[in-house]
Amino acid sequence: MFSLFYGLWKYMFSKTEFHVLILGIDKAGKTTLLEKLKSVYSNLEGLPPDRIVPTVGLNIGRIEVSNTKLVFWDLGGQPGLRLIWEKYYEEAHAVVYVIDATCPSRFEDSKSALEKVLRHEDLQGAPLLILANKQDLNDAVSSEELARYLDLKKLDERVYMFEAVSAYDGMGIKESVEWLVEVMERSKRTETLRARAGGPASA
Amino acid sequence: MGILFTKMFSSLFGNKEARILVLGLDNAGKTTILYRLQMGEVVSTIPTIGFNVETVQYSNIKFQVWDLGGQTSIRPYWRCYFPNTQAIIYVVDSSDTDRLVIAKEEFHAILEEEELKGAVVLIFANKQDLPGALDDAAITEALELHKIKNRQWSIFKTSAIKGEGLFEGLDWLSNTLKSGGG
Repeated sequence: MFSLFYGLWKYMFSKTEFHVLILGIDKAGKTTLLEKLKSVYSNLEGLPPDRIVPTVGLNIGRIEVSNTKLVFWDLGGQPGLRLIWEKYYEEAHAVVYVIDATCPSRFEDSKSALEKVLRHEDLQGAPLLILANKQDLNDAVSSEELARYLDLKKLDERVYMFEAVSAYDGMGIKESVEWLVEVMERSKRTETLRARAGGPASA
Repeated sequence: MGILFTKMFSSLFGNKEARILVLGLDNAGKTTILYRLQMGEVVSTIPTIGFNVETVQYSNIKFQVWDLGGQTSIRPYWRCYFPNTQAIIYVVDSSDTDRLVIAKEEFHAILEEEELKGAVVLIFANKQDLPGALDDAAITEALELHKIKNRQWSIFKTSAIKGEGLFEGLDWLSNTLKSGGG
């Protein structure tokens, strides 16, 4: 009997699809990250970085990691386009916030955009992964330094992590995805979203 | 631009037949865009069922254009043109603010079509040369593009008359189709 339930549970679980928002100000490297994710986790080649143009809309990447389906939504980060971010919050299981770690002059802009994201109630309880991107460049600050700089308040109830990555050469990408999958699988928000969608948890 | 176009889209679909629909309300600038791209002769046909479809065949890619809106009785026939559609280019007259609501409704109605579920969407906020034209952010809002969550989309400010923005848009489109599409 147990194994029957276990099998059923596994079956339902393997169907889980997580939506992950990739946010950040323009030129942070969001689309480069998305393309890297595609090339690491799927058969798709992913666009080489020099072919990537600024996003004015939505890019989507679908990958599969150990029986879990992840759908990444990469939204444009130019000031005028940030208005649409919030329209995607309600259905997001987690947020990846990308910051160009080589560009301290824009940390303030990044910080205030991020604080606005975190204040939004539609994202309540969504795990947050902050990426100190562009570690392939010499002048990139570490994730600890970036964390100190951002000095984010009111993060206590939210599951979060800082990670140093390079969307260009792939450093830190696997660790990031593993962390995301792990926290999303046991996050309360996932349960809430599943229940709202009328999924297995509410049946 | 014809040559650049060749570079971008040749080999993209291999030998497979592909279709790109260019849609929008009447007077949005769809045909002007096709002429601007200089891909070939635009052939106008009016099928007996009564709507006007313009076709440009570009190697194995068929660009097909018709006006949305108007007569509802002919709409079922649109479906003949849906199979194998890789992309939709939706053209909006950014200065025609009175009809943006209709443009929005028609747009979302077409996206509901089962056979178009896999198509990526490129939006041209056209007629940027006209005074009072709304910019890309405003058109995004007006068309409620944020409701699209299952396919890739992108919006570009264009002026078909001046030939501006079209190439950037097509560049995005070919990149997107190359990297796996919607």
